[in-house]
Amino acid sequence: MREMKNIHTAQVLRERAVQFLIYVAVLLISAVFIWILADLARGGIAHLSWEFLTESPRDAGRAGGIASILVSTLLILLVALLTAVPVAWTSAILLVEFVPADSPFGKTVRFSLHVLAGVPSIVFGLFGNAFFCIYLGLGFSILSGGLTLACMLLPILTSTAEAGLRAVPHAYRMSASALGMTHTAALVHLILPAAAPVLAAGLLLGIGRALAETAALLFTSGYVERMPDSLLDSGRALALHIFDLSMNVPGGDMPAYASALVLAGLLLCINITAMKFAHGLQRRKIMT
Amino acid sequence: MSLINNRLVVKTGMSKNFRYVLIHLFFLAIVVACVAQAQAQMPTKTASQRLVLTGSSTIAPLAGEIARRFESLHPGVRIDVQTGGSSRGIHDVRKGIAAIGMVSRALKPDEADLQAFTIAQDGISIIVHAGNPVITLSRKQIADIYTGRITHWNAAGGTDARITVVNKAEGRSTLELFLDYLQLKNSEIKPHVIIGDNAQGIKTVIGNPHAIGYVSIGAAEYEARRGAPVRLLSLGGVEASVENVRQGIFPLSRPLNLVTSSEPQGLVRRFIEFARSPQVHDLVRAQYFVPVNAD
Repeated sequence: MREMKNIHTAQVLRERAVQFLIYVAVLLISAVFIWILADLARGGIAHLSWEFLTESPRDAGRAGGIASILVSTLLILLVALLTAVPVAWTSAILLVEFVPADSPFGKTVRFSLHVLAGVPSIVFGLFGNAFFCIYLGLGFSILSGGLTLACMLLPILTSTAEAGLRAVPHAYRMSASALGMTHTAALVHLILPAAAPVLAAGLLLGIGRALAETAALLFTSGYVERMPDSLLDSGRALALHIFDLSMNVPGGDMPAYASALVLAGLLLCINITAMKFAHGLQRRKIMT
Repeated sequence: MSLINNRLVVKTGMSKNFRYVLIHLFFLAIVVACVAQAQAQMPTKTASQRLVLTGSSTIAPLAGEIARRFESLHPGVRIDVQTGGSSRGIHDVRKGIAAIGMVSRALKPDEADLQAFTIAQDGISIIVHAGNPVITLSRKQIADIYTGRITHWNAAGGTDARITVVNKAEGRSTLELFLDYLQLKNSEIKPHVIIGDNAQGIKTVIGNPHAIGYVSIGAAEYEARRGAPVRLLSLGGVEASVENVRQGIFPLSRPLNLVTSSEPQGLVRRFIEFARSPQVHDLVRAQYFVPVNAD
């Protein structure tokens, strides 16, 4: 009887210990996030103002704001997403819906995506510089930067979309067929909405990587801090601006902190909007 | 076969599909419109004059400021300043990718095919943490520290702590100038930390009380004056200061050059003349460099 009780206490203790460790891990993750955010806020909030967001940089970024840089960053992101998302998602659809999972073609495509995902960003930068800037003659421009980023985003977007589509239960496809829906209709009305949260998560990962990219953009979209007139103008990305301010410009720390705070805020906003949108889509299409 | 069958079956769902096609067409139209607009702006841009500068990250912020002032004086001119290091500036000018390269050192003998125009002077200072009691180091001591023959500060008049050697990355002009001064090769140096730009070097030394590094004097002087715990060591008995670089007595100084592949003409010539004129001396000083007097 006593032995039984001992085993029981041991089990409870073990349970508690595991629970405790899990909580510690969760707290650690949140703490890192909060620490970064708090550090950015502490360093940057004093420098942040409406003028900072609406003026162009002066004195190598020490004075003035980041308006032109925000515009360039968003344009680069837009070009990258408009190019990468259709290609990535359609290839994911092809891989999941139209090609058997273990066919040589599917395997080859998947393998090349994995290799592409492991390539360091500076290599993409050099490739983008050689191909888009020089060979295609786009020069240092937002277009070259966006297209280079699009190449970087392809593996992330495709792999996440593929995983999301594969996670949709097979029964959905069977039921759709049984109801006489075409393959396309099932895809548009059922499978894509069901996979929407995963697609959105992949999109967010991609946006995060694109907004954080420095090395690849240094050689493609360039260093010019002027307000861009067109997609063929060179424009400095926000991450590159932060890097330059903190590493190359003496006395650039305050604006660097403020810019980093803006970047973090931008990412948070995009994250929340995309998540809301994805959940809305899923509910509207499937739940009702 | 099955596809054809399916399509026949869902004739009724056509209107809904049609709506999707419409939405997609709408987005396509937006994209096409954007591209068309970008193309439409092309002619105006080719009509206006454009100049591309690439090279040294040390010069890039200064060149960017000079370019902004030049643009405001010459409407219709666009000057794009790109960065990437002195070697890149030389490479791009030779390849014709850039009209002007930025090189933060004097040209080497094998670069005699290029023409250099000095727009400012810069010195390089050895820096240590302000808590370090060492005030000065001889050239021999610096060489010994960087080649690993001296590993502790007490051998150079400091405390008994291991020295952290901070070196610059390959391709940086600061590194080349420093090696040239010490008569060393980069392969002989045993660094613990390799850094890129100046502010990064200063931050590394601030964060490590036993570190030694070398950076642009202007940047180091600025940080020291703002109260950052960093000390500039005098070199060969000459105090490391922007003033001594101006007088030309500091042993470790370098010219900041704009280089071209041939005798500059037209816009390139006007820009180089502007960058060497007294009109930009305040900009040069604002970036903590020493202006030059063009003759």
